[in-house]
Amino acid sequence: MLITELKSREALAPLVEGKKVFIINCEGCKEVHFPGKEAAEFQKELISAGCVTGTITTDYICNPDNMKLRLQKHMSEIEAADVVLVFSCGVGVQTIANYLEEKKVCAACDTYPLPGFQGVTPLEYKCDQCGECWLNLTGGICPITACSKSLVNGQCGGSKNGMCEVDSSMECGWERIQRRLEQIGRLDLLKCPTNVRNFATDEEVSK
Amino acid sequence: MENYTKYRLKDKDELVSVLAGKDNLFIIACNKCFKEFETIDEPECSEFEKLAAENGKTVTGSARVDFLCNKTQTENKLQDMIPEGTENIFVISCGLGIQTVADLAGKPVYAATNSLNYTGYHGMALTERKCDACAQCYLNVTGGICPIVDCSKSLVNGQCGGAKDGKCEVDSSKDCAWEKIYRRLEKQGRLEEFLNQPVQLRDYSKVNFKFVNDYVKSIRENRLDGYYGGVHPSERKEFTEHLALKRFPEPEEVVIPLSMHAGAPANPVVQVGDTVKVGQKIGEAAGFISAPVHSSVSGTVVAIEDHGHATRGTCLSVVIKSDGKDTLDESVKPNKSLEELTPDEIVEIVKEAGIVGMGGAGFPTSVKLKPAKPVDTILLNGCECEPLLTADHRVLLEYVDDVIYGLKAIIKAVGAEKGVIVIEDNKPDAIELMKEKTAAIDNIEVVEAKTKYPQGAEKMLIKRVTGRKVPSGGLPADVGCVVSNISTTKAISDAIQKGMPLVERVVTVTGERLKNPGNFIVKIGTNTQDLIDYCGGLVGDDITIKAGGPMMGFVLSDTNVPIMKGSNGIIAVETDHTKEQPCIKCGRCMDVCPMELSPLYFAKFADEENWQGMKDKNVMDCIECRCCEYICSSKIPLVTKIKAGKNAVRGMK
Repeated sequence: MLITELKSREALAPLVEGKKVFIINCEGCKEVHFPGKEAAEFQKELISAGCVTGTITTDYICNPDNMKLRLQKHMSEIEAADVVLVFSCGVGVQTIANYLEEKKVCAACDTYPLPGFQGVTPLEYKCDQCGECWLNLTGGICPITACSKSLVNGQCGGSKNGMCEVDSSMECGWERIQRRLEQIGRLDLLKCPTNVRNFATDEEVSK
Repeated sequence: MENYTKYRLKDKDELVSVLAGKDNLFIIACNKCFKEFETIDEPECSEFEKLAAENGKTVTGSARVDFLCNKTQTENKLQDMIPEGTENIFVISCGLGIQTVADLAGKPVYAATNSLNYTGYHGMALTERKCDACAQCYLNVTGGICPIVDCSKSLVNGQCGGAKDGKCEVDSSKDCAWEKIYRRLEKQGRLEEFLNQPVQLRDYSKVNFKFVNDYVKSIRENRLDGYYGGVHPSERKEFTEHLALKRFPEPEEVVIPLSMHAGAPANPVVQVGDTVKVGQKIGEAAGFISAPVHSSVSGTVVAIEDHGHATRGTCLSVVIKSDGKDTLDESVKPNKSLEELTPDEIVEIVKEAGIVGMGGAGFPTSVKLKPAKPVDTILLNGCECEPLLTADHRVLLEYVDDVIYGLKAIIKAVGAEKGVIVIEDNKPDAIELMKEKTAAIDNIEVVEAKTKYPQGAEKMLIKRVTGRKVPSGGLPADVGCVVSNISTTKAISDAIQKGMPLVERVVTVTGERLKNPGNFIVKIGTNTQDLIDYCGGLVGDDITIKAGGPMMGFVLSDTNVPIMKGSNGIIAVETDHTKEQPCIKCGRCMDVCPMELSPLYFAKFADEENWQGMKDKNVMDCIECRCCEYICSSKIPLVTKIKAGKNAVRGMK
């Protein structure tokens, strides 16, 4: 799952300076996140400076078919612009850039990852898609994402008062695993043979 | 179409070793997400069941669940899911689903699957574009081609030099991303710009996990605030929220439909040629669930005929030519004071005044005021959660005393303990005024609710304010509540204090395609097109006109229809050009459905005419708030399909 933040004013200024701008807002993921207030403020400035040829606020520009249908009405405004400024995640910007191949298309936002996939909701859990699920050995707490070091054979020994030595605001993943296993009466799982991670991708494995 | 399915069963050897020494298994399989919605019967669950049987294991049961990572819904479902005697739970899902179950189950949970590596696929649509969320978007430098995901080495300052014939040296099936970038920039004449660009450094500390993690926590709380689901469509109330009510000029002719309410249409009691006065009854209620209809002008009945109707196509209507004198009927005179009226007398006044729910549904208010079960709380719905509309907001501000009077009348009629006026926090002026006016009244309180659509739906309102949940198929009275709309409450006050039946209402006429938006006091039966013309007409072409708000309003293909008791708004908005695409199981509809239903199945089942399936998925609980259709990333007209399903299910009985 992705969320976005408006780029800094210093980064945005050179993109629009002295240029005619067409603005695309993608609010498809607004229920999760959209920097609506910041974007509106910035766009207001652009509009009052008289450099905006048109604006559309739409959703799911990552869906190329509907994106095209919606942009078609605005093609003259887009043609009149020097730059198309897209307020969306990186997927949206790339989809627009691919469609308007001859136009300068710019991203007004930076994209951040959220725990969870693009999935249903942002979650407190993460899955790194490692391709060899370890949750069987750990009582359902993921050592790849819950341990800063992604250790798969137990704690590193560096935690202090239950907190991770890499990030002191984070609980030690392996202490959590130990507690969980104790709770479900499966401490015996810790006696499994030493594990080795396979970093090959699915594609490589299938070769 | 790409398929982002994120798991596959672990190989047999590994599963056999995991199964060793474990018995009495319960299997939970997540129906895959982000793939075309072709089947609801994914194969992995039965494959694993077979394997367990081959290994002599007892399976206590299995369940297939949608979007296992939707923690709230999974928690509800898990409660009764796992049979007694289960010792171990095996989950078939991506890592998120497994962790969710492991957290909730309180029993050993095992993964029967590995998550597949689809790093970078993050769009909502099933697209080939990827984004690695590096937090320092380079697309501005590279003509919109991402060097982080498209270049095997994620180089940000140009090609490595290893490409052969335009193909990547790491993966020869891949085009060199930097060649693509070069060609794109060349085409756009931006090579100079690129070559003069300072050297880029990738800053791996940019992804601020603290920001991200704090954000996740806050958003979960926000999403579930008050009630499950809901959406926040752009409000656009600024067009009209500050505009005081204006009386719409006396219409020359009104067309008053005999059906502006739920239930049987009224029977006309006037004839062509009759002279009528304002407030005179022209149609009488034709049953228990029905309502009388009154003339909104004084003049002559010129026709009783079928006429265009905003929601029913056509409807028998009384056409009255106004004499412009606005003469009141003799029956319009103030009633006794509220203190002197008995509850039954109040209900009778409301009934005779033809008052129906003015939020749009048009349920006869007098029926609501005689609940079958004891009611302790009256909720006044001042949310007006529909975007664009501001009619109730203006009524709250300009008729505050009448609204309070009407609420007192409802409390007395129903015998409730207290009244609660719920106003969304986007109307601070109304909240402040209402708090001031009710400060001295013991049994009336004002609740400020955080804006979230569809808060004004009675079930959501009750959940938010009282925490009570109206049972499936139930009514507010089942949990001791009656919900009333603001305009309806004001109409009750008018009926008692002035003796005036429901012959006019406040209508917001607005939208980005209307020249001069405003809030108007409009006589029932006024022509919608006249209202639009009065507001200066429409701007541009490609316009959709709706009766009601953008979420629940009805599209008006013909504006030659009258304003009715439930017409809270007329909006002119830009037409959205999209076409329906296949469902990709993104799960958003389930995330936003305030009734906690699974709308994606309604679309599938409606297409298959599987009405029993619709019924089993509780389609009758749908309140048609349109949240699912609003959020749908494939733009599927879900509500139309749901309505078809409801009709068919009703026919099954």
